[in-house]
Amino acid sequence: MIERHLLKLRARDTVSPEEEQAIRDSVAEVRSFRADEIVVHAGRVATYSVLLIDGILCRYKDLSDGERQITELHVPGDFADLHSFTLKRLDHSVMTLTPARAALVPHEKLEQITERFPHLTRLYWFTTNIDAAIHREWEVSLGRRSALSRVAALFCEIKVRLDIVGLTDGMSYDFNLTQTDVAECVGLTSIHVNRTLKQLREQGLVQFKGGRVTIHDWNGLARVAEFDPAYLYLEPLHL
Amino acid sequence: MARYHFHIINGGGTSEDAEGQELPDLEAARAAAIEGVRSLVSEEARLGQIDLSGRIDIADADGNILLSVPFNDAVELRRNEQSW
Repeated sequence: MIERHLLKLRARDTVSPEEEQAIRDSVAEVRSFRADEIVVHAGRVATYSVLLIDGILCRYKDLSDGERQITELHVPGDFADLHSFTLKRLDHSVMTLTPARAALVPHEKLEQITERFPHLTRLYWFTTNIDAAIHREWEVSLGRRSALSRVAALFCEIKVRLDIVGLTDGMSYDFNLTQTDVAECVGLTSIHVNRTLKQLREQGLVQFKGGRVTIHDWNGLARVAEFDPAYLYLEPLHL
Repeated sequence: MARYHFHIINGGGTSEDAEGQELPDLEAARAAAIEGVRSLVSEEARLGQIDLSGRIDIADADGNILLSVPFNDAVELRRNEQSW
């Protein structure tokens, strides 16, 4: 159930059997969600954090005119809102983009982990730092990258993140988002994303069709995106 | 709600929209097309060349073209005017 989460953590550091058991014991409930369902409401007091088992979640904010900006995607193995443990009320919401299952981890259990498992606590601190790094990378995309480069960077990032949790077939992966979802990630319109996907396809770089991304030229795609996976901190650490 | 498909036809070629979007009515679809053109044109403006000769064909789920929205309808251009 939390196997993807363990893969994500163990890609960076060791997780002892005791720590693993503590994580397993912290799950109070597993909940299933439909697509487009709000999982964490902005402004409400959070009493648990959400650990994604399968499906795709997003952090987002809405503007009054109906415009939505997705600020990060979450893949299986991610805590979507570990930061709600310290923030209590989030400034953004979290919703599903696909049907999803998530483990709910009560904040009191997280508190026990911080008291009993200092190394695991540092590892969790590290994962929230990765979220911050992803936000910075998206900020660069939204502020400075071309449309082509933004969409390319998104496909590169998700490929690497899904690799870590064993959810790619080499150069392809399930990504059951709509063009509108992608547009809300990269700050464009669905129509603009459609045109951008055509350009990426015609350049032989990547195809996004039927809820699946197939990368035909990884180096070319990474070049267009100026993608450097350093911000995802893939090297083993000793926290 | 109905599904509308937005095919882009301009100097960059034709982009079929196989996926489409669920929208309340054709008026909302036209608004989405206008917003889409503005998004495309803003990228062109960054690169210094704006092509307003294209159009967006809005089609229903059966492929019938319901409305054609010229890129020209999405923006108002002012040039060689000095009103200040």
